[in-house]
Amino acid sequence: MAIVVRRLEESDETGNFDCGDTPLNNYLRNHAWANQAKSSLGVTYVAADDRASRAILGYFTLAMSSAPRQLFPGKYVRGLPPYDLPLILLARLAVDRRFAGKGVGHALISEAFRVSLRVSAEVGCRCLVTDAYAERMGWYARYGFLPIEGASVGGPQRMFLDIRTIRKALSPS
Amino acid sequence: MGRTVSKAKTNHPAARARNAKFQADLAPAEDRAVRTLKEDLQLRSNTDFLTDAVALFRWAVSERRQGNRIVSETVNGERKVLLFPRLERVAPGMDLPRIEIPWTERELASLAELLAGEPQPPTELLRRALRD
Repeated sequence: MAIVVRRLEESDETGNFDCGDTPLNNYLRNHAWANQAKSSLGVTYVAADDRASRAILGYFTLAMSSAPRQLFPGKYVRGLPPYDLPLILLARLAVDRRFAGKGVGHALISEAFRVSLRVSAEVGCRCLVTDAYAERMGWYARYGFLPIEGASVGGPQRMFLDIRTIRKALSPS
Repeated sequence: MGRTVSKAKTNHPAARARNAKFQADLAPAEDRAVRTLKEDLQLRSNTDFLTDAVALFRWAVSERRQGNRIVSETVNGERKVLLFPRLERVAPGMDLPRIEIPWTERELASLAELLAGEPQPPTELLRRALRD
């Protein structure tokens, strides 16, 4: 199986996608295409098998967002430009459970890093942020994501990866 | 009477340009594939093979960069879309929509502290993700 990661297309078969998480399934099945094509609320990238390219093995969604600079503690504001800090939100990432353990998640997040680098070169952004389920924090940490303190109890853990770290990963160690 | 061949020196940039040499390590199966393709396409040299391959690749990149999809169609009208991961990297659509996300005061303080510090060195898995 050769995994291809590309943007979601209207003809993709999303109805059978099952990652074991109802909100993530519903998002892909019912909202991802509309959010991408009509509402501009996020761009979804899908992993497909190149031999059955309409069936979806996994997906992630990206959007631009920002953090309000005026609410940063004073000691950190110095040196920052006087506008909100642009960032990329890795809004969702899910793998169909029938394809778990086959490198689909790695292929997806690899493409998310590449897109983030391209976006940071085109429009500027400082970091990649995601809201991780508690049980998935370790997976993100292996790629270098750091926890942002202050998450609500029982809610997802917001995590951070500096674009400069991603850029450094391109250079020889 | 002997013939004298004089080597004219020129400063013209085009005359100074040298052809680049290209060397590749191919697995036996890939080597066989190249030989078969050369036979099928009646290409005599590796240079001709590479030149045609580059021309085809340049065309594919140009099409995908414009957002066009590359499709093969059978005589029955059945269509297959070419999906080639590296080509998807030049496809347009880098524009990401913008959304607002809520931040708590504590999260913003933590984010500001992370941003103020030196970036973490990349993990091995992150390096591998960008190499694969």
